[in-house]
Amino acid sequence: MKYYLGIDIGSVSTNVIAMDKDYNVCFNQYIRANGQPLESVKKGMTKLKEAIGCSDDDILGIGTTGSGRELAGVLVGADVIKNEITAHATATLHFHPDASTIFEIGGQDSKIIILQDGMVTDFAMNTVCAAGTGSFLDHQAERLGVPIEHFGELALTAEKDVRIAGRCTVFAESDMIAKQQYGFSKAEIIKGLCTALVRNYINNLARAKKLKPPFIFQGGVAANVGIRKAFEDEVGEKVIIPKYFNVMGAIGSAILAKEYIEENNIEKPNFKGFEQLELEFKPTSFECNGCSNMCEVIRVISSDNEVLAVWGDKCGKYAGTSKASQTSGR
Amino acid sequence: MKVSFPHMGCVTGYKRLMEKLGHEVIMPERPSQRTMELGAKYSPEFICFPFKVMTGTYIECAEKGAQLIVSSGGNGPCRAGMYPDVHQKVLQELGYKTEVMVFDNMFKDFSAFVKTAKRLMNGTNIFKTAGIAAYVYALVKKMDKLEKRLKIIRAYEVNQGDFSKAWKNIVSMFEKTNTIRDVNRTYKKALEIFDSIPCREVKEQERIRVGIVGEIYVIMEPTVNKNVEEILNSLGVEVENVQYISDWVEHNVIPKWLPFPKSHRVFKSSDKVSPINCGGHDKENMGWVFDFAKRGFDGVVHLMPFACLPELVNLGKFPAVSKELNMPIISLSLDEQMGEAHVKTRLEAFSDLIKSKHFSKQQPTSGNVADSFENAARKVGTKVDKVKENLQTSPAKPEYQAK
Repeated sequence: MKYYLGIDIGSVSTNVIAMDKDYNVCFNQYIRANGQPLESVKKGMTKLKEAIGCSDDDILGIGTTGSGRELAGVLVGADVIKNEITAHATATLHFHPDASTIFEIGGQDSKIIILQDGMVTDFAMNTVCAAGTGSFLDHQAERLGVPIEHFGELALTAEKDVRIAGRCTVFAESDMIAKQQYGFSKAEIIKGLCTALVRNYINNLARAKKLKPPFIFQGGVAANVGIRKAFEDEVGEKVIIPKYFNVMGAIGSAILAKEYIEENNIEKPNFKGFEQLELEFKPTSFECNGCSNMCEVIRVISSDNEVLAVWGDKCGKYAGTSKASQTSGR
Repeated sequence: MKVSFPHMGCVTGYKRLMEKLGHEVIMPERPSQRTMELGAKYSPEFICFPFKVMTGTYIECAEKGAQLIVSSGGNGPCRAGMYPDVHQKVLQELGYKTEVMVFDNMFKDFSAFVKTAKRLMNGTNIFKTAGIAAYVYALVKKMDKLEKRLKIIRAYEVNQGDFSKAWKNIVSMFEKTNTIRDVNRTYKKALEIFDSIPCREVKEQERIRVGIVGEIYVIMEPTVNKNVEEILNSLGVEVENVQYISDWVEHNVIPKWLPFPKSHRVFKSSDKVSPINCGGHDKENMGWVFDFAKRGFDGVVHLMPFACLPELVNLGKFPAVSKELNMPIISLSLDEQMGEAHVKTRLEAFSDLIKSKHFSKQQPTSGNVADSFENAARKVGTKVDKVKENLQTSPAKPEYQAK
């Protein structure tokens, strides 16, 4: 069997998927990165190898996406390095070609994507605020002592509505404490939080956009049934959660890699092989003293002291000093 | 006298002007992390981002011993009109003796203009000054022309970074010029340099064009807007910026009844959607968006400092305008805490969006752009007549402006 791989390196999780030529997802894994994205990429790739039992030659191409896409792209030798929005939209359009609105909530960012006739026509990403993202829920779940996995189910058991200010995490927290002290139950407060998050999401991202069904909800937070219910109440329609909701970005990047490789008739992918992953990669950083910018330049060095990638310089001084600089960007 | 100025647009022009007038120039540094930190520390918390960056630049110049900082003024309700006074106060409180001098609109107060100009002329006689002005104008005009070209052809460079490196060379070449003839010669040489850089061949119908509108400082200073233009170019997108110093001067100096420059007509063309100017460049920017749509551009990138009032007014109108004109518009609000990755991800997604739209050609762009613009005006809900009526009944000079 031959496979295309997709890797999505987000702020909270690292997702690895393998897809065969006919777009069937053969392997998918959602790993909580705990601040170690490179380690979890390695872990995910090793597990993938064990699970589907493939060798280096079986890999036809790799795509990476997410905030750590560039680093991971260098690490594994990606053919396509794409932003999250395009990746998510591609994956959704594959599974639900008629989709018109995608809600995507991840750990650190949330986005809304508007589609029309199978094309992205508009999108928005949260800007400066963490309210309305998964981290907010994570944090509150911890505070309430409810495991995040049961958060949503608990919300569904609530009988009454509690309104919690969702404009800002700080306000939400103090409001939540106040409501606790009034004697509302945990379930009701959790429901209130879910509604607040959705309200904030819609206020921030869907400004002046016409939201049309079918609605698709994906990203790690889509596992939360409470949020899904809140979305359904808000838009007044059924909200579809795709089968692979938590690894959609990775699937999208695999599809993009497949399209890219087939379009350009590339026979030999950039993939460096599973063995290469065992080697040590050292991301190091130093402060450049060339000017008053004092850029923090990040350099990835392989075990045989080869500079694989450099970024972070504002002036372009280090551009072209690494292997990756020629391939990334375009 | 040791003179300095804000780092904005074609600084080579200001530098040569001051040198020719016999001043010693303290060259402002390109705004760096330190500039922004200094600026954010010593500026009022809720002031616009450009103010903070300029404060940082001024402090850096004052540290190097600048005695006079020359800046341009603003008019209308935008806070830019108060920049020089507040900057002066900030510098004073920090114990610097640097003076901030401002050039305001010369049609409003001609005598004040002459007074400031005389001080800067530094005893140079009027004819010589005219000669210097002609030289500086030629320099700025030519450099702006090259920069406009750079932002188009850089999209097709084969080796990333070639054009940006060449541009640095060209700027230093222009710094050494002395006469208009030098300028013309350097201009020709610069064009040759551009031509010698390897580029990809791209068919006319495959070119993707994006316009940049927004607050003047953030769209002119790449270090402040996180290199938006270079990022777009590296994605294979041509960029046209609406603000250049030479254009700005022409717009402000040439009387409005003359047929040129184009910016006067552009300014007026937005009458339907933006009946009055809210300060800054909001009305003009709306006109440019209209102009880009007419010329068949694929999209517009709108840059604004966080909480900039005039651009916020535009931000509210853009969804309707973008829909009616069938042209995607992305707004980015910038401030000192923003990372480059954040801008890059959005621009990448935006370029994917406009590219797929360009190549699918499902919906031919609406036949009559002027009609769509009128529809947009209706949607935005601007009651043109009412606004004009209000303007007529309100006092010509509001109390706060009368001194």
